Amino acid sequence: MTRSIEVRGLSRTFHTTVRRPGLAGTLRSLVNPERVAKHAVSDITFDVAPGELLALLGPNGAGKSTTIKMLTGILTPTSGEARVAGVVPYQERERNARNIGAVFGQRTQLWWDLPVRESFSILRDIYEVPKAEHATRLGEFDDILELSSFWDTRVRHLSLGQRVRCDLAAALLHDPPVVFLDEPTIGMDVVVKEQVREFLRHQVEERGRTVLLTTHDMTEVERLAERVVLINHGRLVLDGSLDEIRRKFGSTWQVRATLADAHTEVTALPGIAVLRQEGPQVVFGPESPDGPDSPTVHQALKAVIERYEVTGVAIDEADLEDVMRAAYVHAEAV
Amino acid sequence: MAVLHAWRAARVTPLGELHAPPRMTAVLLRLTVQVVLVASLWHGLYAHTGTTAGLAEGQAVSYAVLAVLASRLRELDQYAGRDTVLQHMHFGTIVYWYLRPVPPQRYHALRALGEQLYGFAWALGGYLVCLAAGVVDPPKSLAVAGVFFVSLLLGQWVLYYVMLTLDQLCFWTVRNNAAMLILIFAQNLLSGVYAPLWFFPDWFITLSGFLPFQATLSVPLSLYIGRIPLSDAGGQLAIQACWVAVLHLFTRFLWRRAARRVISQGG
Repeated sequence: MTRSIEVRGLSRTFHTTVRRPGLAGTLRSLVNPERVAKHAVSDITFDVAPGELLALLGPNGAGKSTTIKMLTGILTPTSGEARVAGVVPYQERERNARNIGAVFGQRTQLWWDLPVRESFSILRDIYEVPKAEHATRLGEFDDILELSSFWDTRVRHLSLGQRVRCDLAAALLHDPPVVFLDEPTIGMDVVVKEQVREFLRHQVEERGRTVLLTTHDMTEVERLAERVVLINHGRLVLDGSLDEIRRKFGSTWQVRATLADAHTEVTALPGIAVLRQEGPQVVFGPESPDGPDSPTVHQALKAVIERYEVTGVAIDEADLEDVMRAAYVHAEAV
Repeated sequence: MAVLHAWRAARVTPLGELHAPPRMTAVLLRLTVQVVLVASLWHGLYAHTGTTAGLAEGQAVSYAVLAVLASRLRELDQYAGRDTVLQHMHFGTIVYWYLRPVPPQRYHALRALGEQLYGFAWALGGYLVCLAAGVVDPPKSLAVAGVFFVSLLLGQWVLYYVMLTLDQLCFWTVRNNAAMLILIFAQNLLSGVYAPLWFFPDWFITLSGFLPFQATLSVPLSLYIGRIPLSDAGGQLAIQACWVAVLHLFTRFLWRRAARRVISQGG
């Protein structure tokens, strides 16, 4: 299978000087600095296929941004190697630049004093995009992101949501096959977030772009990502589909059933335990949440309804945020 | 090879300024006030004197006024435009300079070229007004005008590299405010913006000869007013060209080192 992004044993170590506390400590640090190595990313390996949207997840300081910076060619890895659209990004920065687009959170690449459209024109010139192609693409982006209502405004006067939409467009104006988005919707309202998600879906499904996205917004992951790579303390701890992750960390469902007859004798079902019973109210849960054959909430619901006569039923299922929290805690413990 | 159209990045400063009329008005006012005050000051200083430090009144006034105009060449409000290397380092947006098919050094040079051409338009406009008003003397001959122009060009080139060195300092220190204050003072003093170098003691002139600052402004202006005769122009232009070459190599070296130190806020 052809790969858009190939990462093999990628590591990055930063060397920093430890500042000792107090005046004497500061002076000692000046005369005899103590250098320490911090392993921001350690031996990470994964691939991303063309037209795939991969969510790179992890708690703050996990090494997500450092990984993206190596894949965009900004940082050179200490060891390992990476290829993006067949190019080693940190060895051929200029060639790589034509293949990628990037948005880094709220950091804008637009020119603060110029109207957005002027910024787009300058990027068009820098990337040498033909004028007709530029106009067509801008029109396409405008259809989803509704840029034309403010693209004659100077960047300094845009709201955060407007600016991020413009930055997304700016990153894709040269039609890059691979896009890196480092927390692109941070701080944005729900309406704009949804607009951005629709734009990204369109870019992946209709334009076949490969997207590597980092975010802390699990709704975003749920709605966009097919696959998730979880890193923590610079190490890859999980690489799989959302379903796999749910199975592994998210089987903490509960089915609350109200029985027609309060005197019915309730017994466990295959893989399903009775957690508690108070009169007609019975709470079922997975027998072994981490077990590979643990039933899903829907299978459990079906089994309960088939076995017992129920007058009411409710489901409590861990959402993706709970699942990821469990995954992070698990990663910490490993 | 992204140079065919990338030169248009030079438009950023003029476009930014044109979109901010209050800033242009401020520049006009500042320039007018400075020229009037400087011309009055030097006329006053020469009220009871014929020739001082080898300069007659007309030469001194022309030198001082031209120095004011020339100092506008690269004193634009980049800070308001959030487009200094210092700010890009601070906000973490410097990463975008390394994500484009135009290398950061070329982009920086293109931006500076745009700034200087825009500043040159202001300086030229001010010069023509001052010339028409009789505030500055015209050059003695076409040859003097030509040599002055070449020398001014080389001087601005030297100045670009001096300012670039300060920008590059940000890759190591993140902030360069203190260095910038020192440099601006040194540049203005040692290039003759505050007062022509001919008024300073000999040891000071000798000392400044080992630094690049007098090559930026003092040399072209001295050629213009005739304090450096045309016969010495060749040597002076050669010194300026040497500074261009030395600083070019030095800043190229720094760009290479800086590329390994691109950092930004956050992981």
